[in-house]
Parts: sequence; structure tokens; C-alpha cells
Amino acid sequence: MNYSTELIKGTLKTIILKLLADNKKMYGYEITQKVKELTLDRIQITEGALYPTLHALEADKLVTTETEYIGKRIRKYYSLSPTGKAQAREKVKELASFMDTMISLLDIKPKMT
Amino acid sequence: MYSLSEQHIDFILADINARGIRLESLQCDLLDHICVIIEQKLEKEEDFESCYEATIRAFYQQELREIEEETIFLLACRNRLTLSRNQFFLLLFAIFIGPFVSYDLAWLVTSGPTAGWNIPIHIWAPTVVYSLFPLLILLVLLLTPERLDPLIPAKSKILLGIRPFIKIIPYPFPRI
Repeated sequence: MNYSTELIKGTLKTIILKLLADNKKMYGYEITQKVKELTLDRIQITEGALYPTLHALEADKLVTTETEYIGKRIRKYYSLSPTGKAQAREKVKELASFMDTMISLLDIKPKMT
Repeated sequence: MYSLSEQHIDFILADINARGIRLESLQCDLLDHICVIIEQKLEKEEDFESCYEATIRAFYQQELREIEEETIFLLACRNRLTLSRNQFFLLLFAIFIGPFVSYDLAWLVTSGPTAGWNIPIHIWAPTVVYSLFPLLILLVLLLTPERLDPLIPAKSKILLGIRPFIKIIPYPFPRI
């Protein structure tokens, strides 16, 4: 099952912040692949959504960047700033609380695994 | 692992630029992303040009510059005062109507007993006229693209003006 763009867009910041919290530094392609891998291809972040969000996070000083030359091209690694780390925790907490509320609101029975 | 040549990298960078990506930082991100994908695909012996076309096509819906437009939009939103429509109108009415109503009330309090509580036209007419200003701004809001809905439209700032504030200062401005 693939999720709607609205759902993914609404949670993209949280996804990125959490991934960067769990992995010291990541570059754009790596983030998309990690999300695919962790969600078994159910969530595929598009480049059109990823980079504007990363740049907004950078402008908000939640992530910092460092560059590395790969031959002639530059690879930008993104990592969390101290503010970003706190924000990541807060965002995950907020999303978890939101999901609990939705489960209760929509009367969703948790799946038995 | 397959590695793209410098000519290929120059070609991709020039193409990204030609497709409207002007932000250097975004160019770096996209160039690296595209290169990684192509290098993986070319390991399976594909032709560079067709591989590049297929790869770049997956990056956008209409045009590649959508990514830059979205980036600029998100960056611009950070620096803008964002208000919900309700907050916006509350503020707007407070700014526009507040001074006029206060002025009318002040006039009534100070001149009421001697003027017989009849508000002269030069007092109530501007109140009525300027109270229509928010309706003009509502029009601007309705014409604002949906995605900018929660933002104060730039054009409404022109409508805001300073006229209502001048009106409540009696000197040196003559009364209408």
C-alpha cells in the first residue's frame, strides 16, 4: 500500500529529522533509500519534496551541512544541529501522540503481530 | 562501480541549470543525486543519454524548476508573518475599524452634551467608507492562490495604508 502525498508531506520533516537523529550524517539520495528500505518501499520520498524540506530545515538552523568532493561533483551531507536534535525528539513525540489520537478517533483496532 | 566522466557531470550540471535550477546549493544536491542513480543504472550497461533522460524525468511532474520554486516558497514562508484567515480579519478590523470607532466614541463623549448626540457627517462618513476597506482586502484574499491562503497577501499591505491613522489625528490635517 502506497500512502497519499498529503500524508507523506505532513510527516516529511519528522521523518527527515528522525533519520538524521539516528544516523550521524546523510546525503539526499541516502535519505530516500533509507526511507524505502525501512518502510519496505511503502514510502518513497520524491526529490521534489525532499530537497525543499532539507533547505528549509537548514534555513531554520535545524540541520547543518558539510560538503565532500566525489570526483568533480560535491556531495552535501546533512546532520542535525543541537536545536535540530531537540526538535527531532519533539516532532516524534508529537507525531506519536497524534497517531494515538487518530487511532482512538477512527476506532482502529491495533493489529496483532 | 561505474563512475561518470567529467564531461557527463558537466553535461548534467549544465542541463540542470538550463532547466531552471539556479540555486547553487540545490544544484549540488540534484547533481549528486542524479549522478548516484545514473552510476547505479549504468552498471547494468545502459546508454548514458537514455538513462539520464529517464532519471531526470522522474524528478518532476511538469518541469524540474518546480523543485526550486518549492524551495524558494518554503524559504519565503519562514520569514513571513503567517496568520489564519480568522486572525487576519480580526487584526484587520481592529486596525481599520478600531481607530474610527474609538474616534467616534471619543467625539461622542467630548462633544455629546453640547452637540446633542448627533454625530456630524464628517465624523461618521469616514467610518462607513473606511469600514469597507476590509471588504476590498477580502477580495484580494479571494484572488490569492490557494496555497498562499494563510499568508497575508503582499498586495493587501498597499490597501492597508496609513490613511486611517492620519484621519484620527486632527492637526495639521484638515477634517473632511
